[in-house]
Amino acid sequence: MRFVGESVTRVEDRRILTGRGHYIDDVRLPGMLHAAFLRSPFAHARITRMDTTEARNLPGVVAVLTGADIEAVTVPIQVMPQFPDFNSPVYQAMATDRVRFVGDPVAIVVAQSRYVAEDALELINVEYDPMRPVVSFEDAQDPNCPRIFDDIEGNVLYRSNSTHGDVDAAFAAADTVIHETFRQSRQANVPMETRGAVADFDPGSGDLTYYAATQSPQGCRFQLATYLNHPIDRVRVLSGDVGGGFGLKGPVHREDISLAAASRIVGRPIKWIEDRNEHLQASGHARDEQIEVEAAVTSDGRLLGLKARLLIDQGAFPCLPYAAVLFPNMIRDLLPGPYRFGAMSFEGLVLATNKCWNPPYRGPWEIETWVRERLMDVIAHRLGMDPADIRRANMFDGDEEDRSITGQHLAGITSRQSLERALDLAGYSAIRAAQELARREERLLGVGFATFLEAAPGPKENRVIPEDARVRLESNGHLLVMTPQGPHGQGHETTLAQIAADAMGLPLDHVRVVHGDTRQTPMNLIGTGGSRASTWASGSVMVTTRKVREKALGVAAAMMEIDASDLDIVDGMVVPAGAPSKAMPLSAIAMTAYLAPETLPPGTDHHLEAQETFTGDGVGGSGWSGGTHLCVVEIDRETGRVEIVRYVVVEDCGQIINPAIVEGQIRGGVAQGIAGVLYEKAAYDAEGQFLAGTFMDYLLPTATEIPSIEIDHLESVPVEGLDIRGVGEGGALVAPAALTNAIEDALVPLGVTINEQYLPPSRIMELTRMVPA
Amino acid sequence: MKVSVTVNGVPQEHEVEPRTLLVYYIREVVGLTGTNIGCDTSSCGACTVLVDGESVKSCTMLAVQADGAEITTIEGLAGSDGQMHPMQEAFREKHALQCGYCTPGMVMAAVSLLKEHPHPTEAEVREGLEGNLCRCTGYHNIVEAVLHAASTGSVSA
Repeated sequence: MRFVGESVTRVEDRRILTGRGHYIDDVRLPGMLHAAFLRSPFAHARITRMDTTEARNLPGVVAVLTGADIEAVTVPIQVMPQFPDFNSPVYQAMATDRVRFVGDPVAIVVAQSRYVAEDALELINVEYDPMRPVVSFEDAQDPNCPRIFDDIEGNVLYRSNSTHGDVDAAFAAADTVIHETFRQSRQANVPMETRGAVADFDPGSGDLTYYAATQSPQGCRFQLATYLNHPIDRVRVLSGDVGGGFGLKGPVHREDISLAAASRIVGRPIKWIEDRNEHLQASGHARDEQIEVEAAVTSDGRLLGLKARLLIDQGAFPCLPYAAVLFPNMIRDLLPGPYRFGAMSFEGLVLATNKCWNPPYRGPWEIETWVRERLMDVIAHRLGMDPADIRRANMFDGDEEDRSITGQHLAGITSRQSLERALDLAGYSAIRAAQELARREERLLGVGFATFLEAAPGPKENRVIPEDARVRLESNGHLLVMTPQGPHGQGHETTLAQIAADAMGLPLDHVRVVHGDTRQTPMNLIGTGGSRASTWASGSVMVTTRKVREKALGVAAAMMEIDASDLDIVDGMVVPAGAPSKAMPLSAIAMTAYLAPETLPPGTDHHLEAQETFTGDGVGGSGWSGGTHLCVVEIDRETGRVEIVRYVVVEDCGQIINPAIVEGQIRGGVAQGIAGVLYEKAAYDAEGQFLAGTFMDYLLPTATEIPSIEIDHLESVPVEGLDIRGVGEGGALVAPAALTNAIEDALVPLGVTINEQYLPPSRIMELTRMVPA
Repeated sequence: MKVSVTVNGVPQEHEVEPRTLLVYYIREVVGLTGTNIGCDTSSCGACTVLVDGESVKSCTMLAVQADGAEITTIEGLAGSDGQMHPMQEAFREKHALQCGYCTPGMVMAAVSLLKEHPHPTEAEVREGLEGNLCRCTGYHNIVEAVLHAASTGSVSA
């Protein structure tokens, strides 16, 4: 049987469902101590005095380490100093003389229990001299504002400028220029498991074992070795089940470095599990961005050109190793999406402010989709056109020569098909008819849709970072698949087993996928992120398993005295063509290779193990995942509540390994996208004080807020080779656009333009003028 | 202070600090780590267990308040033969978990929900699980799983 394409139940589920998952807080080591961080209550201040005596004297406290103590044993951090034009500041794992956001760690207490460690935090005396905080886009661009880093002039860390095509000509030819500034607000990844780790430095061997909740075990190992100046061969990262990440746990956090340094100082294992308040204020925020855009359009709805200016508030510290500086050019490249127009100018700034840093959050470049798809609707409404028609008028068909103005090769994209399919499935004209009726009753019913493209893996010319797998056939005929991925909910133990089982010819339960032990898995700095796993991990497992199969068949051929090309492996049996009765179990082949290799003819390769690199060769299809989401809302005039009446997804991610898992990824992403519009905001006040430190302030949606989501797949035409594309980010990328388009559509009778993404009921009521703005 | 409870049918008796939360007691003292901590402030439901048959967020309660109670955690749901509880089976079959961190609490809350409402509507399931946050699934499959478990009629805690 073939497993790829089947919704097989997950290998992971039994242990998790029976309470035997192995999350980071479940790690218990002999002699293990517990850590808690003291954090800054100020956005921007000098530390004038710190006294830890009282805390150190509390019974049960083993050590109190300050920023200076950690600085003494670590290497200063500077992220991507080689990135062109990036003013990358040098900073420390913990604050030394100055704090730069509310939540900046200033001391770490190591104690017998977390309870005692937290008691000790209250006994540390720190005196601060507050400084003027840099809080807004305007502050950050104001040369009179204090600079956040002494080694950097001003607070603009990066500026990117480019022009594509003849922008002046495009604007000169326009019938209308539409000018809008689209503003997102700060949101956060918020996995249900907070950050945490256990650092275990063994003074005897010099080995540092780091139990991490990470999306990238090898990346974590590499960064720890670098910033602790610890030989990498003596750093081992282990990770078990990871309770969500959405990008947050790809980076290595300053607390990781501090904790590992503390363990090395104290010489004992130390666990740190952050609480939710720390998590919300200090783990990471994203999406604090805006794009000011001018669009040159003709009166019949053709887009001629764009001018775009992007601002990203990345908070104080560039995230390690994925600084926000990575995103402006991605946003620029993807901003034209599936649309044909001839000119674009782009400026992108990354700004430092006194806020929490900016790790990747599920589709970190999402603003390109939101702004473009919002803009298409604004243009449609201004010109009195249907939003579907304006897209039809500008969309590429996916022909071989199709290339966006920023150079993205769009051959094979299915944007147009997904748009038509979504309109069809939802019954677009019926929805418009219902809207007509609703409007007569003064009800606010709206429909919105948006189309996205995701470069997962992207067109051939863009593919740069290969991935390895290691595969070993064990003596019992079972396959061990070792991947550098750091799954945190995506079910890699299942999907990669499906791939390997098919490639080898094994039952699914004869394959075991191993991840999260850097002594076994191949090197790869990224791990799980960027919707890479579907293509890159699958590809690496496929090519490596094929190599092991070839080796196993070589041994079998020698044992059975049959040419390897006449042998097949079916359900764990090596079967000669035309002579099924002579089949041998793979276990017999493997047992001989391991225990009696001397019985094989000289020259037989009996090492049933391989590590191969998947370079993207053999990937067919467009390389673009994508689709169209459609959303119907009804807005309650009295309360400002937005009810999502329907949500329809049409998605094309190529060949599907496991439909249940793919649909789970889509629905989860959509939920986060909806939440960013209606519920979630990592709010700061004008002084940079953080206002959303609990789940009563930072509102995650519950089962009553997220609607049922209908999904249809366009599995685009099968191609030669591997055509499995990523699907992790699409839902989160496009849902804010579909939803805000529906909201504006509902408010058309009131003449409202939506140019902000966060629209809680209070804001809707201002927009509908139920309450004054 | 002394606390005596039964956890998954096994009597337990320990000295604890009065301020010890029930969830820390279950995890750190009894040593059952299936119950996860998601927020410490009774908002997320990851730590949901059954106390005398009622679902309780175990970070809401001090261990000493549970004195004398019968507690069921996720580890106590499956049969002694390893057979998963029908709710656990439903979650697996409907792909109602991804990272799985909220799952133990969600399953316990769902078991409690069906005890009170054996045949809920979809809306009742959604309302019944409102106290449990999941960040991965968008809830769709969790709701499906609970409805599926209800339709088999085999759920009793």
